[in-house]
Amino acid sequence: MSQLAFYFDATACTYCKACQLACQDKNQLAPNQLWRRVISYTGGGWTIQDGFHVPNNFFTYAVSIACNHCEQPICAEVCPTKAISKRDDGVVLIDQSKCIGCRYCEWACPYGAPRIDEEAGVMTKCTFCEDLLAQGKNPACVDACVMRAIDFGPLEELRAKYGTVDAIEPLPLSNLTQPALVITPHKHAQLSGTGTGKIDTLEEAL
Amino acid sequence: MDVREWSLVIFTILGKMSVGAFLVFLVVYFFAARKAGREEAERLSDLSLLAIGPVLLLGMAASVLHLGNVMNAYRAVSNLGSSWLSREIFFGVLFAIVGGAFGLMQWRKIGPFGLRISLAVLAALLGIALVVSMAAVYLLPTQPAWDTWATPVRFGVTTLLLGVLAMGAAFVANYAILQRRDPSCAEAQCTLLRSVLRWLAISGVVLLGVELVVIPLQISTIATGSAFGLSSIEMLLSEYGAVLGAQLVLVFLGAGVFGVFVYTNAMSAGRENVMSGMAYAAFAIVLVAEILGRYLFYATQVSIGL
Repeated sequence: MSQLAFYFDATACTYCKACQLACQDKNQLAPNQLWRRVISYTGGGWTIQDGFHVPNNFFTYAVSIACNHCEQPICAEVCPTKAISKRDDGVVLIDQSKCIGCRYCEWACPYGAPRIDEEAGVMTKCTFCEDLLAQGKNPACVDACVMRAIDFGPLEELRAKYGTVDAIEPLPLSNLTQPALVITPHKHAQLSGTGTGKIDTLEEAL
Repeated sequence: MDVREWSLVIFTILGKMSVGAFLVFLVVYFFAARKAGREEAERLSDLSLLAIGPVLLLGMAASVLHLGNVMNAYRAVSNLGSSWLSREIFFGVLFAIVGGAFGLMQWRKIGPFGLRISLAVLAALLGIALVVSMAAVYLLPTQPAWDTWATPVRFGVTTLLLGVLAMGAAFVANYAILQRRDPSCAEAQCTLLRSVLRWLAISGVVLLGVELVVIPLQISTIATGSAFGLSSIEMLLSEYGAVLGAQLVLVFLGAGVFGVFVYTNAMSAGRENVMSGMAYAAFAIVLVAEILGRYLFYATQVSIGL
């Protein structure tokens, strides 16, 4: 079976975080247990010209990121208990009944996808809403996006439709894990590894 | 830094110390037996051997504290094929079992000598495998400050340095016990002890030299490796500069200054009390230095992950 993948359109995203919230709501996640996060990336600055602040290569854009259900999931490779596995459709899942909560996958994942469930003491992460998929529905984040900036489908189809970009700042280079991710870059997007900006995500008051 | 990371600091320090101590035990036992006969060698080292097991077990108990779900801990060896963490636990448990079996047999003189020595050599190899996998756990591409040649080298140096100084302290403690039990045995033991301590002091100074060369090389390797590595090093030198300074001063003081004191006091008979005090101090000071080093390792980690 082919590899399931997420698509993200950075030109459409308004940084509203509806996807993040829908994910949290559907999966009953604690405030620090975000399976999908919207990250803001900003660079450039302002110069003063004739007493006015004038933008100087200033840019900012947002990236919505969850588990990329990588083709080479380093989390599964390093997990000491084989609690993490990849299904035939490419979805990477954690079996909480095997997890010891050592958080080694958290160190290894370049996307910050595995998140500890503090109460149960085990790791959790995006399941691609596999329960909804089984009912023929869309993942919660996909349906929540008011801009239709998130899509999903077989990786090859998404690539044919949207291209092959899978690494813009602040995401890491994709050669580490081969993420199943397709991105339409924002017009100011910097490719991973060439970044001059920084993450400036505003955190919600908890 | 939270409880989880402190538990890893304690586990890695005690794990390395027990492996290093075991290796040093074996080398000392071998040379002491050649020099003064097997009986004197066993008098020197048997009791100190018994200190190694509890150190390892204490470390392993500490490691369990960083798990979210202890009930599943037994599953940690399920992925020997691709997880260094599995291999670390695997070799740790085997080292504990084989080393423990040897310790018990050596102490109670159970079984033929050849069997005991074979077990000891096997345990030493398992211990080395433990330290190697312990270091490999940290060679993650997402952690630039850890993923360099320096991590396994530092782990090796710490293993040997703590092993040398811990056994130095154990041998003088053993000597104090022997003297109290039976003052007549003291003379041959005392000569042997002084000779062993001199060699341990020299080894400690050499290892200190290696560490003081490796640390700056490690810093420059990480700083020039990537922007994430550079921010680790900036943190290490600014925010944690005082801790790094304390670590360097302490390791120099313990292995260097006190090491030399141990050596000079071990030159001639009659100064055993001073020598013993210095050996304890050297061990305690270097232990603190190495704990600070492990603390810095976790505290200045900058992941390339989001």
